[in-house]
Amino acid sequence: MKKYLIITISLIILLQSSIAQNIDLSGYVRNYSGMLVGNGSNDFVILQNTFNLNFEKNSSSNAFKVNPMIYTEYGDSLVFRLREAYIDFFFDNFDLRVGKQQIVWGKADGVFITDIVSPKNLFQFLLPDFDEIRQGVYGAKFDYYINDNTFEIVWLPVFSPTIYANPNSIWAVKPNFPMPPIYDYSNTDVNPSLENSEIFVKYSALTTFIDFEIMGGYMWDDDPTMFTSFVPDGSGGMNLLLSPEHKRITLGGGSFSTTLGPFVMRGEAAYYSGKYFNTTTPQFDNGVIQKDYIHYMLGTDFALWDVNISTQFIQKAVMDYDEIIKPTPLFKGEYNNMMTFLARYSMLNETLDLELFSYYDFEYDDALIRPRILYDYSDAVNLQFGANIFTGTEGLFGQYNKNDMIYFKIKYSF
Amino acid sequence: MTSKRFQIILMTLILTSAIYSFAQDKPSGLEIIQKVYDRPTGNDQDGELTMTLINKRGDERVRIIKQYIKDFGKEEKKIMFFVKPADVKNTSFMSWSYDEQGKDDDQWIYLPALKKVKRISSDSKNDYFMGSDFTYDDLGDRHPTSDSHKILREEKLDGEDCYVVESISKDEDYMYSRTITWIIRDKWIGLKKEFYDEDDDLLKTLSVKNFEKIKEYWIITHSVMHNVQKNHTTDMQLKKLKVDTGISSKKFSERMMKRGI
Repeated sequence: MKKYLIITISLIILLQSSIAQNIDLSGYVRNYSGMLVGNGSNDFVILQNTFNLNFEKNSSSNAFKVNPMIYTEYGDSLVFRLREAYIDFFFDNFDLRVGKQQIVWGKADGVFITDIVSPKNLFQFLLPDFDEIRQGVYGAKFDYYINDNTFEIVWLPVFSPTIYANPNSIWAVKPNFPMPPIYDYSNTDVNPSLENSEIFVKYSALTTFIDFEIMGGYMWDDDPTMFTSFVPDGSGGMNLLLSPEHKRITLGGGSFSTTLGPFVMRGEAAYYSGKYFNTTTPQFDNGVIQKDYIHYMLGTDFALWDVNISTQFIQKAVMDYDEIIKPTPLFKGEYNNMMTFLARYSMLNETLDLELFSYYDFEYDDALIRPRILYDYSDAVNLQFGANIFTGTEGLFGQYNKNDMIYFKIKYSF
Repeated sequence: MTSKRFQIILMTLILTSAIYSFAQDKPSGLEIIQKVYDRPTGNDQDGELTMTLINKRGDERVRIIKQYIKDFGKEEKKIMFFVKPADVKNTSFMSWSYDEQGKDDDQWIYLPALKKVKRISSDSKNDYFMGSDFTYDDLGDRHPTSDSHKILREEKLDGEDCYVVESISKDEDYMYSRTITWIIRDKWIGLKKEFYDEDDDLLKTLSVKNFEKIKEYWIITHSVMHNVQKNHTTDMQLKKLKVDTGISSKKFSERMMKRGI
């Protein structure tokens, strides 16, 4: 109750202050209802209302943005997220942004290859809009411009890991170990300090022939490595102890985008060095092995009979692969192949859109298929009806094969 | 007899001379369209574009765009920032167009929800712009040599002396079978344009409602496109127009697409 009061008072103060200072206000109110149909229960697993508010002010030399977002779920729970809160300083040839911010790199859609600065929030798996999947990160971003070239440095003193679904959620990832584990979280957190900072650099150019980015990063793995050991259970047996720990990884990569007649060709690749994988032998070497891997994408966008189509092929290849590596939904073997497909058709002067988006994983033969219809009832009100269909029995998508869902969203933008 | 022969020769000479003189004064269809294409509109422009989309029931939707255009000699750069409606606010669009015949435009769109500048193909010029009745091709400067032009007649329209020119695309796949344009003599402004579909039925009519002389340039500030087949109309007005203010070339960059107006 106290939390509601504080948030409400804070918002009222912000709103009054905004009106007084001519701060630009925008955002949306959204109602989102989702019903499970995959397990025969017809349960409403999503009954959510969202209030997204943007406070912005721009001038030629500086700007700021604050983006609070409030979710209310059924059962009256309330979640407050400050997605972004930053200040910009603009100079003749460089800009500086300080504060909590979302940073997006790369040319891939719906796949995270060099787009690794802002970690993911997977509280509803990959189903929310991508701006809701990305978390804001605390730090500073410096951009230096020479004509159409940009040099960018990002410094993050505070590490933010991937946020996973609550263990009771239908999106929870089930641990896959030979016996029920117990957990030791004592080494999980990364304390904010200069030594524990993350740093990313990027050079990008936008030219008449091609757009490209070259990047590098010295970062923490957003997903913790599960170090394993066995401890006595007090009754003569042994317990499997999992110690989640974030480890450093280094990566370098790049992306490009160009046009070839009616086709937009896109590509993106990154080399990850020092990634820890769990093994099938938890009793040895803390159940982990360190390997490098390559993650890349090739894709194209084009129009066919007024339907905008986008397709991507994505591969992850583990270097110096060892059969001891334990298969996971993300890495089944040495090579992991996936594709995405998007088709969108607009009609009635772009007031009605029909869309189909899907991921397909070749290794697990599983898929997520997402048809939806979007209708602009007016300039402010958008209606959306769609479905999330999971196929397969295992893998990133197949693990949720009981979570087929239909949903309805109403969004009022202002 | 000799006198009669002389009179005939004289008449023939006068007539030939008159026809020759008339032919010299009257430009060809291509020359007229070229003059429209070459009509100066300043080295740079910025203004606020308001598009009101009206469907057959009379329901209105409003799009407001802040746009900047600059001529760099052999290329023209344009950047647009979407102000309304709310769900596309802060979206921006940038295009670089080239004088070089056959060289495609470069185009990018910045989507604030994705925080990403995406290169898009300029091949889809037949697509409609933001749900309006204008295609990207209608809004752009179509090169005169892309079509064959023929003067149909000369007539008055809205009190202006006009050439009426028919243009047929050299590209068989072009979305219009032909267009007919009423062009004001001496001002070289297209006052009205009819667009015919693949079956040669009238598809759309563009009517210029207002044009102004800003500095020494004639600029169209209000036009209406009516799709007669769908009974859908787009009213487009250019407000707060400024010409030759010396817009910085830095305005036409990825940096500005992300930063906004």
